[in-house]
Amino acid sequence: MECAESLRVQAYFDGEVDALSAADIERHVEHCAECRALLQDLEQTRTAIRRDLTPGRAPPELHARIRQALDQETAVNTPRPNRWGRTTWRTQPFWVGALGGIGSAAVAATLAFLVLSPSITNPLLDDLVAAHVRSLMPSHLTDVVSTDRHTVKPWFAGHTDVSPVVADFAQQGYRLIGGRADYLDHQRSAVVVYQHGAHVINVFSWSASRGALPGNTTRGGYHLAFWKAGDLEYCAVSDTGWDELLGLARLLRDLSSRDDRE
Amino acid sequence: MDDKRGRFEAEVLPHLNAAYRFARWLSHSPGDVDDVVQEALLRAFRGFDALRGSDVKAWLLAIVRNCHATALKQQQRRAFVPLPEEHDPRDGYAMIAATTDPESASIRRDDARSLERLLSALPEEHREVLVLREIEDLDYRAIATITNVPIGTVMSRLARARAGLKARWLTEVEGERRGVR
Repeated sequence: MECAESLRVQAYFDGEVDALSAADIERHVEHCAECRALLQDLEQTRTAIRRDLTPGRAPPELHARIRQALDQETAVNTPRPNRWGRTTWRTQPFWVGALGGIGSAAVAATLAFLVLSPSITNPLLDDLVAAHVRSLMPSHLTDVVSTDRHTVKPWFAGHTDVSPVVADFAQQGYRLIGGRADYLDHQRSAVVVYQHGAHVINVFSWSASRGALPGNTTRGGYHLAFWKAGDLEYCAVSDTGWDELLGLARLLRDLSSRDDRE
Repeated sequence: MDDKRGRFEAEVLPHLNAAYRFARWLSHSPGDVDDVVQEALLRAFRGFDALRGSDVKAWLLAIVRNCHATALKQQQRRAFVPLPEEHDPRDGYAMIAATTDPESASIRRDDARSLERLLSALPEEHREVLVLREIEDLDYRAIATITNVPIGTVMSRLARARAGLKARWLTEVEGERRGVR
């Protein structure tokens, strides 16, 4: 038969009892062989579970799906007229509501235009986001894995058409984790991969073309920051916040301009 | 709106891995896990304004659990409608056997896989408390919130889950190695 104290012993094991009860239970365990065995079992089970079961992580595709769903959710809610609070809303005459409705429709149309128009004029944005998402899939992230810029940079020479600035900014929170070649805009572009916290930042670079560089934008939940340095164009893509992404962009720009002066 | 999104990303999304793990342990079919987690995150986002200073992880996992229950009910309804006459109680076992890893026979000696399988074989109400306690490292109060039962029930289920796992583990190890571990 099970010892009447077994649930208390379990609670003790789980750290759910105060110091006074703990002392009490420890005294009990000293002369109860059954509860000693129980404690041992509990410890064994916990060790086995925590040692053998690898903690699962949500796959990057799911991250992307959720961000997209949230984007849609946010987009649906944004154009709603919320200038008037819910309580005063009902007291407004009908025509105010009607005008509000028309206004919000106009806002929605404008937003839709602003959001959709770059994709009509610039497939590059879609390519960049697609390349970024693809890179997050298993074993697609890096072709050369190194935190050493003297390894990553020469690798690009043989594998891509461009030679971008490469540096490890671990001290500023951007760890260099490697490089990759991606086919983008009809040329082999160089991608430098950084890690910032739990986020991956892909920095694409390609030879500057005649067309104007797109402005910074957000697509499918990913931020894209563009800049030009020398004869190369760069784009950093990630799901980090804007501040973090622009922080890396600034570091890389500074580095380019220092390289130019040297 | 952006502010809400920003706060949500900062406070809730860090628990996405926990939500995913929990959904995986709840569900017998891996294909549904992504849908359940996505639905849970959307519901969480919609209800985020109502959340005030409580345990975000427990709150999110409770939503995951609800979404899993809803998905399961829909699935059962779909599954039962076409073949109401032929339902046999033994089908349940056949389904569980079919959904466990087909490779399991060849890697039965792999401790991790055995453990995972044994844990999956526990009754759901035992499995979930054990997973929340040992893998997500949650306290009794949080587990009670998520599973919507009193703390006393959490304690007794946890005890039965641990005893059940231990018993199955011993049987398995004895059966395979003819020795007690």
